[in-house]
Amino acid sequence: MTRAKLPPWLVLLLPAIVIILAVVMVPLLLSLYSSFTPYHLTRPETLWKWIGTFNYVKAATDPNFWRAFGRTVLLLTIALNLEMLLGLGLALMVSKVTQGQRLLRTAMMFPMMFSPILVGFQFKFIFNDNVGLVNNALQSLGLTERAIPWLVDGNLALFAIIMAEVWTSTSVFAILILAGLFALPQDPLEAAKVDGCTPWQSFRYVTLPFLMPFIYIAMAIRSLDVARAYDIVQVMTNGGPARRTELLWTLIGRTGYVDARMGYANAMGYIAILLSIAFTVYFFRKLQSARRELGMAD
Amino acid sequence: MASASQHRLRKRLLRVAHLTGLFLAMCVICLPGLWVVLNSFRPTVEIMAKPPVWVPQSLSLDHYRAMFGGAGEGGIPVLTYFRNSLIVSVTSTLIALLVGMAGGYAFARYKFKGKAAMFVALMASRAVPGVALSLPLFIIFGRTGIIDTHFGLILVYVSMNVPFTIWLIDGFFRQVPKELAEAAEIDGCTRWQAFWRVEFPVARAGIASAGIFAFLTSWNEYALASQLTRSANSKTMPVGLLDFTSQFTLNWGGMCALAVLMIIPALALTFLVQKHLIAGLTFGGVKG
Amino acid sequence: MAQVHLKDVVKRYGALDVVHSINLSISEGEFVVLVGPSGCGKSTTLRMVAGLEAISDGEVRIGDRVVNDLPPRERNLAMVFQNYALYPHMTVRENLGFSLKIAKRSQREIDAAVNEAAEILALTPLMDRKPGALSGGQRQRVAMGRAIVRQPDVFLFDEPLSNLDAKLRTQMRVEIKKLHQKVGSTVIYVTHDQIEAMTLADRIVIMRDGHIVQVGTPLEVFERPLNTFVATFIGSPPMNLLSGVIQDGAVVLADGTTIPTPPDLRVAEGRKVSLGIRADNIMPEGHSLPPSAHMAQVEMPVLLTEPLGTETLLFTQLAGTEVQAKMLNPRPVRPGEVLRFGIALDKCHLFDAETGASLRS
Repeated sequence: MTRAKLPPWLVLLLPAIVIILAVVMVPLLLSLYSSFTPYHLTRPETLWKWIGTFNYVKAATDPNFWRAFGRTVLLLTIALNLEMLLGLGLALMVSKVTQGQRLLRTAMMFPMMFSPILVGFQFKFIFNDNVGLVNNALQSLGLTERAIPWLVDGNLALFAIIMAEVWTSTSVFAILILAGLFALPQDPLEAAKVDGCTPWQSFRYVTLPFLMPFIYIAMAIRSLDVARAYDIVQVMTNGGPARRTELLWTLIGRTGYVDARMGYANAMGYIAILLSIAFTVYFFRKLQSARRELGMAD
Repeated sequence: MASASQHRLRKRLLRVAHLTGLFLAMCVICLPGLWVVLNSFRPTVEIMAKPPVWVPQSLSLDHYRAMFGGAGEGGIPVLTYFRNSLIVSVTSTLIALLVGMAGGYAFARYKFKGKAAMFVALMASRAVPGVALSLPLFIIFGRTGIIDTHFGLILVYVSMNVPFTIWLIDGFFRQVPKELAEAAEIDGCTRWQAFWRVEFPVARAGIASAGIFAFLTSWNEYALASQLTRSANSKTMPVGLLDFTSQFTLNWGGMCALAVLMIIPALALTFLVQKHLIAGLTFGGVKG
Repeated sequence: MAQVHLKDVVKRYGALDVVHSINLSISEGEFVVLVGPSGCGKSTTLRMVAGLEAISDGEVRIGDRVVNDLPPRERNLAMVFQNYALYPHMTVRENLGFSLKIAKRSQREIDAAVNEAAEILALTPLMDRKPGALSGGQRQRVAMGRAIVRQPDVFLFDEPLSNLDAKLRTQMRVEIKKLHQKVGSTVIYVTHDQIEAMTLADRIVIMRDGHIVQVGTPLEVFERPLNTFVATFIGSPPMNLLSGVIQDGAVVLADGTTIPTPPDLRVAEGRKVSLGIRADNIMPEGHSLPPSAHMAQVEMPVLLTEPLGTETLLFTQLAGTEVQAKMLNPRPVRPGEVLRFGIALDKCHLFDAETGASLRS
């Protein structure tokens, strides 16, 4: 009996390839196709009608879509940068601790383990204008007379969402940067001290360049699941009030499931996918070049 | 000397600032979670009280009793949700680990054409937002009849977790020196034996942490589960949380109790994994 | 350039003292080597001078400043580390110029200083490489260049050659010595390698368990070791030590062998001593230097030989103790062959058997 001989690496990778093809690639092809149709969930026959790029043109000319798009990019930019800065600060503080560091590190991972949907509810609760923790505290301390409508006012709601997002994900940065700090060779730091660096200069010229790959890993990991924000936003405001916190994902979800306009939703979904992949590729590139800087490349 | 004493003073000030900052940061990290736990023990009237009740007056297990009893809360089948979550998460984790081990080993030990491209493609598949993926899956699962089943959800979670487990496990296998397996082969093992008897045990702790990571992802996932599950047949706990909401009201206390039930396993696993997690992410990423 | 003074310097970790009250004065332009086995506190001492370790007690002065509480950057030092400690993300040029850039010197000044250092150390063709693309010896030279560029008051070297292979180490030793002759700065150099200490130092400071055991020029510590520790630590192969008792002005070994005491030493009867003989001073007859007035003869079996070319090292045994001897103009020796050896008594040492202190004083 002769068997077709596959190289061992392919045999090993085959299960992964098959399952990803089946559960990710095929559905994506289907959605790519349906994005060229007026497919409506309640009217299956619409799947066979080809309308070309109509859905894309519609999305491209829809101000609601572009507002959601812009808001998504804005939210990601603010959230990722804030998380990076706070994570860096947190990691630096924790790394300087000598006793009980293990406990601190564990506590630091605490928010990461919360289901995003839970985080959404939690912060909806905390920012509730009537019985929320934030308003209760502000009023008890006499900082404000009337309740602040956190989730009702558009800007405040976006702020609350960013807070929730930052709360869950800062620890990803903090943990990776902390790992970087532990791996940081002590010698160059000491050399910098002797070379006349102030603590700030040591940080700026030695520590930070060394940490950059770790920061980019964190960015890359985070950009892999930025869509976690969907769960949070859906629960906290569901895109409201009056679409002021509408993000790409909530817009897609509503168009697809509530309005049942699958074809149009898929077209917008594709744009969201490209955006995600663009973020991911960007950070992986950055990671590669930062590694090359440090001579860590393969 | 003036500058010497200045240096000493600055050191002390920095120390105070450091500890204060750390304390505040830890408060922000821990308080929201603790607040949920606390509220799960407080009666609804106290949670909703205006002006607020800061010091809890009466703590009770009412919400837990209601949750498990299924009575008075609209009969939310929490235990069923818990079972669904457990079945789906554990099964999908085990499968993802097996697939991930095979794939990670291939990336760590073999050289082949298009390796880098393959790796990027895998990662990119993970970058597809859940919502965007859920639309076509909803259609396909509806057609093939695996919507609202454990099987469908397991399938989805396996594919979600495979890229990440491959990435982590690749990193762990790279840390195991190649010579180890070679020595075992010279000692008379087949390649397969060399893997199971030598390389796998050495990388075991790391693989376990990849597993815990996959478990937590499945355990906490909402965007896909919310569309691919319909009934108590397959609803997981994150989806179940929504049962506590109605059009205009929210049962905060009951929701907090379910939240605690969700957090406890996650927290326990986190505690186990944290050391390996850091090592894994670092090696997988920096040396990769 | 500056003097460095250590006065009663102590390093304490909790209740554990790793450096016990050290006193040392180093004059301008002097090349001082701290040497000792690992864990003797030599690196800690150096790092206290650098400001990388806090000083638990006592005083360190550089020039006329007490520097105890000054951070390293205000001490005007340069340090070469064992692992080179090059900044991995900077090119050689950037590494060399970094300290000047931090000090906000003009670009012209930086270029001039960097190019000069590169010239001295033959680094010019490597200027745009990153440390990752350099060999061990090249990295070592960059690390030294970085120190030179600063024009510091004091150079500190922390085991700079221990990561290099033997051949390169010898080469770099010469480079460092040349460099010191050219630049003339004060140098404190830490090593565990006594050959490095002997070849480089103006003065050697031998440390053990956080104490200074002996300070002196290389020849002083070689010829007049204060105790058995220094005697066996300095010099290769290490000095042979034979325990015995003084009887009738001679050392009687365990098996009854009698060796006259060195001529200029008078020791009380019955005292337990260690007789120290370097391999250079115990050689087989016919293969040694011309005999001097004070010679003693012993017969010993040769157990093992190590031919080194111009000489052969003989491993022999006397009174149950291994003794290493040298054979000049060597001939082949069979294992087990018994030879007659001459001992140059005037080059021998006597130490107290218990304290190990030299009886020559």
